[in-house]
Amino acid sequence: MERRESAGEEEEEGRRNEERVNNTRGIILRDQNNNREPIWPTIDGPLGLSEDESLSYARNFFKFGFFLLPWLWALNCFYFWPVLRHSPSFPRIRRYVFGSAIGFVGFTVLLSSWALTFSIGGEHLFGPVWGKLVMYNVADRFGLTGASI
Amino acid sequence: MGFSSFVVLGFMGGEIAVILVQKFSVPIDCVTFLVLLFNFAVVGVMSIFMSKMAILITQSYLVVIGMLVAYWFTLLPEWTTWALLVAMALYDLAAVLLPGGPLRLLVELAISRDEEIPALVYEARPITNNNVGPMQRVVERRSWKGRRSADPDTAESSNASSSLGVLLSSEDRQNETRVVIAQESQVSGDSELSAPLIPQEMVQSESWPMDGIGLGSSGAIKLGLGDFIFYSVLVGRAAMYDFMTVYACYLAIIAGLGITLMLLAFYQKALPALPVSILLGVVFYFLTRILLEIFVVQCSVNLFMF
Repeated sequence: MERRESAGEEEEEGRRNEERVNNTRGIILRDQNNNREPIWPTIDGPLGLSEDESLSYARNFFKFGFFLLPWLWALNCFYFWPVLRHSPSFPRIRRYVFGSAIGFVGFTVLLSSWALTFSIGGEHLFGPVWGKLVMYNVADRFGLTGASI
Repeated sequence: MGFSSFVVLGFMGGEIAVILVQKFSVPIDCVTFLVLLFNFAVVGVMSIFMSKMAILITQSYLVVIGMLVAYWFTLLPEWTTWALLVAMALYDLAAVLLPGGPLRLLVELAISRDEEIPALVYEARPITNNNVGPMQRVVERRSWKGRRSADPDTAESSNASSSLGVLLSSEDRQNETRVVIAQESQVSGDSELSAPLIPQEMVQSESWPMDGIGLGSSGAIKLGLGDFIFYSVLVGRAAMYDFMTVYACYLAIIAGLGITLMLLAFYQKALPALPVSILLGVVFYFLTRILLEIFVVQCSVNLFMF
């Protein structure tokens, strides 16, 4: 059954449900995965979002991730994990989720390469600037740990 | 409220992280540190205030906020902390149960306006075991609706229609599939809609005060974050004395929470979660410190019992 862009999401889901019902007349144990995964795009299953809402959520997470928020991209992938696993079922959402995954991996590679260079290189790579940049010296200089309520 | 959560996560969490970095001399540079902290704080605020984030993330961030605030509370002097805990427990008891209490009025106002209380609330959803056969729980999202109408059918249909619109459309189809499908396939859209068929098993859909405990209409238990914080403050202050007091207070608090949950199931209205646990915790702390510790130390020293 091909998915056509119809008037509402409910109709598509209804069609899919009917298809499944027609295929399973009679006392049949349905597999959990068959039952659940194609309907629910979020990791929360039936307690999560519907497909319309997940499209807007995925898009917003993807866009906000560009404000230096790779963790948001990672959460996007985590939350819509069923989309990654069964990607042919959700053609519109998977664009954003794949984009988030690629963005997260890319940003992590960049950030970790910088952080590892900094920590492993240390003084003899950077010179005296290392002492100025490292966190515990910065904390000392600005007295960040002295203030309490 | 978003700003205060951001401050808690960003500044208080950042300060604790800086203390740890200094203690363990982690060679992280300030740019990376700031990026990570910014990520953590912003995503935390988003996950708490957007009600539809993954529930695991929301729960984790609420626990982290509770931990951070409790850490800063333990910086108070000792007698102040104990007096504050006892006073909060008594105030909670009065404010939720007395007819003129402010928290009770707030809950009733929220019920009458049919709104959710805007507060930081930890929601613990029931475990949905795939092998549980005849127990079909109604898994609606966090909307508590009071049972105002006498007719259960209309109440359920109004519940279903107001919470998840998408599922309503598949209601009829799934009602017929329920008959042919074995009971094992439960927490999916099916169980949502067997609402009119389920007897009183579900929904003590009563409300919950900010500082108390209540059942959401899905059987999920909602505990206010203030309770988490004061439990943590009690255990943290007990930890500043000795390990034995930590164990005693931890067990007392868990026992108190169990008692409160049983009372909740029994009375089915919003209950204060603080008093039982805090009073048990305080009593056990002082008993342990004054009586038990001397006994156990003497036994160990004389090689009688370890």
